[in-house]
Amino acid sequence: MSKMADYDGPILEIDKLSISFFTRLREIPAVMDFSVNVMPGEAVGLVGESGCGKSTVALGVMQDLGKNGRIVGGSIKFKGRDLSEMSDAELRDIRGNEIAMIYQEPMASLNPAMKIGKQLMEVPMIHEGVSEEEAYKRALEVVTDVKLPDPERMLKSFPHQLSGGQQQRIVIAMALMSKPSLLILDEPTTALDVTVEAAVVELVKDLGKKYGTSMLFISHNLGLVLETCDRLCVMYSGEAVERGSIEDVFDHMQHPYTQALFRSIPLPGADKNAHPLVAIPGNFPLPHERPPGCNFGPRCDYFEAGRCDAQAIPMYDVPGFERHSTRCVKFEEIDWDAPIQVGEQKEKPEVGKVVLKMDNLKKYYEVAANALFGGGEKKVVKANETLSFEARESETLAIVGESGCGKSTFAKVLMGLETATEGEILLDGNNIEQTPIQKRNTKTVADVQMVFQNPFDTLNPSMTVGRQIMRALEIFGIGDTEADRRNRMLELLDLVKLPRAFADRMPRQLSGGQKQRVGIARAFAGGARIVVADEPVSALDVSVQAAVTDLLMEIQREEKTTLLFISHDLSIVRYLSDRVMVMYLGHVVELGTTDQVFTPPYHPYTEALLSAVPIADTSVEKTHIVLDGDIPSAMSPPPGCPFQTRCRWKDQVPGGLCEKEVPPVRDLGDGHQVKCHLAEDILARMEPVIKIAAE
Amino acid sequence: MEPLTWTGSLGALLNPVFQGLAMIFIVAVALQILASFIFRAAPVTTNADGTLTSGNGPIEMITKVSKYSLYGLLGLCLIFLLAGIVMPFGKAGIIGAVSARLAPVWLALFVTFTLSMVYKRKLGLYGKLFDSLIGMIGFGLVMFWVYTAVFTGVFDMIATHDSLAQLSGMKNKLPGTPVRGADPETCGHACWYLLGGDNLARDVFSRMVDGSWIVVRIAPLATLFAFMVGITLGLPAGYFGGKLDTLLSFLANLILAFPVILLFYLLVTPEIVATGIPSFMAMVLFIFPIIFVAVLINSRYYTRPRLRTPLLAGILAVLVWIYLSLISAPGTVLAFLPESLDLFNIPGGILVVFVSVVFVNAPTVFRIVRGLTLDIQTRDYVAAAQTRGEGPWYIMLWEILPNARGPLIVDFCLRIGYTTILLGTLGFFGLGLPPESPDWGTTINDGRKLLSIYPHPALVPAFALLSMVLGLNLLADGLREESLRD
Repeated sequence: MSKMADYDGPILEIDKLSISFFTRLREIPAVMDFSVNVMPGEAVGLVGESGCGKSTVALGVMQDLGKNGRIVGGSIKFKGRDLSEMSDAELRDIRGNEIAMIYQEPMASLNPAMKIGKQLMEVPMIHEGVSEEEAYKRALEVVTDVKLPDPERMLKSFPHQLSGGQQQRIVIAMALMSKPSLLILDEPTTALDVTVEAAVVELVKDLGKKYGTSMLFISHNLGLVLETCDRLCVMYSGEAVERGSIEDVFDHMQHPYTQALFRSIPLPGADKNAHPLVAIPGNFPLPHERPPGCNFGPRCDYFEAGRCDAQAIPMYDVPGFERHSTRCVKFEEIDWDAPIQVGEQKEKPEVGKVVLKMDNLKKYYEVAANALFGGGEKKVVKANETLSFEARESETLAIVGESGCGKSTFAKVLMGLETATEGEILLDGNNIEQTPIQKRNTKTVADVQMVFQNPFDTLNPSMTVGRQIMRALEIFGIGDTEADRRNRMLELLDLVKLPRAFADRMPRQLSGGQKQRVGIARAFAGGARIVVADEPVSALDVSVQAAVTDLLMEIQREEKTTLLFISHDLSIVRYLSDRVMVMYLGHVVELGTTDQVFTPPYHPYTEALLSAVPIADTSVEKTHIVLDGDIPSAMSPPPGCPFQTRCRWKDQVPGGLCEKEVPPVRDLGDGHQVKCHLAEDILARMEPVIKIAAE
Repeated sequence: MEPLTWTGSLGALLNPVFQGLAMIFIVAVALQILASFIFRAAPVTTNADGTLTSGNGPIEMITKVSKYSLYGLLGLCLIFLLAGIVMPFGKAGIIGAVSARLAPVWLALFVTFTLSMVYKRKLGLYGKLFDSLIGMIGFGLVMFWVYTAVFTGVFDMIATHDSLAQLSGMKNKLPGTPVRGADPETCGHACWYLLGGDNLARDVFSRMVDGSWIVVRIAPLATLFAFMVGITLGLPAGYFGGKLDTLLSFLANLILAFPVILLFYLLVTPEIVATGIPSFMAMVLFIFPIIFVAVLINSRYYTRPRLRTPLLAGILAVLVWIYLSLISAPGTVLAFLPESLDLFNIPGGILVVFVSVVFVNAPTVFRIVRGLTLDIQTRDYVAAAQTRGEGPWYIMLWEILPNARGPLIVDFCLRIGYTTILLGTLGFFGLGLPPESPDWGTTINDGRKLLSIYPHPALVPAFALLSMVLGLNLLADGLREESLRD
């Protein structure tokens, strides 16, 4: 079976596409009046929050909408042919051959029972009927192209033997096996760590150029789209609201939603004073409860009754630009360059006395090498290695690191779910490192509380919101009667700015951001003085992230809480933290105030992390540092410095010291600590990673 | 008196129509299968108001024919049943007469379904069941037998004869045979053996409906006890893991590996009963519900002793009294409670049945609960409960168990079905229940001896068993489907 004949026009033309899902109750429109063109070799980004219909568009292109979904209007043309008029056999030919798709979860796209090589070879053998040797040769070539080490061994391994980043590279390789004309990437890096994500994005960009493939890149991350795409389409609630080239949309946005989106994301290049966050008010409308007229109307600052909600709004071409259009009736009247209206900035209270002190904390796990019989040699996993720091009253200490760096273990030890192997944790001068949570008194338990990462998991689904908060109050011994506790619970709901009526709702009736607010209310039920926030906003949509972040900071101001903010997102860390601690494989590699950590000299790992963060700002220039390989397993950490396997400065240290010795903690002045062998003069020569271009 | 025919006076008119429709239906279904190989389905069009219109092609035409002929068949069945209620008793044949006897069941089913359909959006998972056809059919079958059992057992309404009475001359008579020597003026509904007589000249219809009362009483209750035992042991095994888990899982495997029938034979052997083993097993197994309830309440309310203490004391007093009355019975090794305090005595045979069913089902439930616990305890809300210092039993019973309820409810329905079959098996082997008992297993066993000559005494209870278990399985399917969908 061969490819379709050469075609000069746009690879993909989506014209006024409408897709609906039909349920027992009603028709649910998922995509309305959506148009986009993808030219040969062009990368188009599709950006929007969850539920805006961007994945539905991708499924529509693949003609894979399931039993309930159908195209109710418009057309999708691939190389000039209407996909909805093709027979099943023709579609099968096109899928995987001309159009390939890469999904979010790499493990779900690979067959766990088949070797990588077999899965890759299948693609050309089915679509082009090539011989096995030819297919193997091609598989080897593609695996080399996606920069995987030792391609021949890779082909012989099973998916579970590879790390997440390697799996995603294999999925990309599989998509490229048949040299498709169109590649659809549906949030391809969401499941990966930041440094791995940066490498995968780099790879996708290079391969796009090398193979000349057109790309439809679906993401919620504006920074990623800026780095990968030529053109951009912003979606809101099933509609494209703005479309244009990256430069036009980023620098001359013409739709209030795009503007609001940009204002609600923190930028690592700027702190909260230079770029205050403005959350989008209100909530995303449910698909069957969309407002008349402009979908964004109810949340828009520029809303004008009688005009914005009068009729369905078409796309307008923006004069003076090429292929730039917006779905806003007032785009010519709005002053897009007006400065951000910021509410009064509250001063942060002074940082108080030391509340929590960690001294040389270590946590090792013993893992039996032979799991079945428990005997034999025992391996030691060093989850935390000599953790020392202090946290003060009303201070925000950010703990930054990728998966496996030991931040969750640290949280467990602090909470008392595990006891420390060595070292001390002092809470108000009292040792708590060896007291498991059952033996802690109520006051200590109530003082140290946690906000969890996954909003969909943080609340018990079968108990009302109010009941869960009241249970926490009961446990912490607050209030004498049920009525007392109910009052206190309602006050807590006020504190996190949720309507009191939510007390009697079940968690499934709440959105992600609302659930996270309940989680925060629960953590503060006992008047917590130290709150560990484990990536509290990373699973939320950008517009909600800003609101929840602001809420946390506001409560912190009022309650003088010490906030331990665990995150991998350096933008948000820069925005809200006073001090930053960077962790890698159980070690603290850098510790200092936010300014110290975000300006040179850096620890080499911090430098790489900073460079990996996608930034949604065209005026920012970044040094590209791509780390090779993956994070080593904590079971068998490298000898010497934990970062030496991926460090680009290693050759600057004489005598191979990095491979022999764990570097000592060095004080670079003013409490800025770095764990690195690099000499002072080399550290001093480091250049800032993020530069804002002169206007 | 004339023997009854199956459809009586309606038959002359409706039977040919019924046969014709049945033929059309069968042919249409066969054509439908053939056509799906030949033609392509016509495209479905979307209307502006958000509805869909199916296309018009050969496949759609044949589908329509088979659909309407099926509706016709169902409509005729409904006419047969309704006519029996409306027409004088016996005029509408056996089907009509049976339908007339079951009139209270029809009424109860009708009320249940109407109310549930009207308020289905307010009834949670139960209401969602009425969105699934499979679930509704299953629920209907199950409720049919539940209502039959209740009306027979409690109100003494449906049976036409005493299920143990033997009327002379009615041995192995065919369905619809008039009772010999009955006075046509006064006999009323007792004029006929509606579904014939068995080899001891007892009324098969009455035995069937009486049998349902036995099944409906024992099967759900025994399953409930099995769940209590399984949950009380499965939660800690999954939550704590380690040696406790290894030990309990080993025990569960041991019980599962033991041949069930052999176990039953052992349990009912008089020598074994004399040693008191079944009584002691009952003593151990029945204590789990008390532990379960006590821990459930204590873990929830221990922070409020003023509410907890009286509540716990009251409930425990009642439960312990019931427990003591349950296990203490005169004539067994455990006869310690004075008769004035003994609330009720379970016949020895039933107790053995109960114990064996619980003993055999509990390990399977244990494994399901253990697996669910392993999964759910990794959730953040469990971690949140741990970090606010909740006790392990609170976490198990209030954080984990409520969120495992979906699969457990489905399994509960399926397991009542298995228990029903198990009861049938026990009855068939003559284990536990008294030999005269009208339960379905015993009746099938009685009827099997003359199966080739007179199949009806065995077929009737067999169909009863089949429809009830089928109903439970369909109900479980419907629940699973609806609980997955949102």
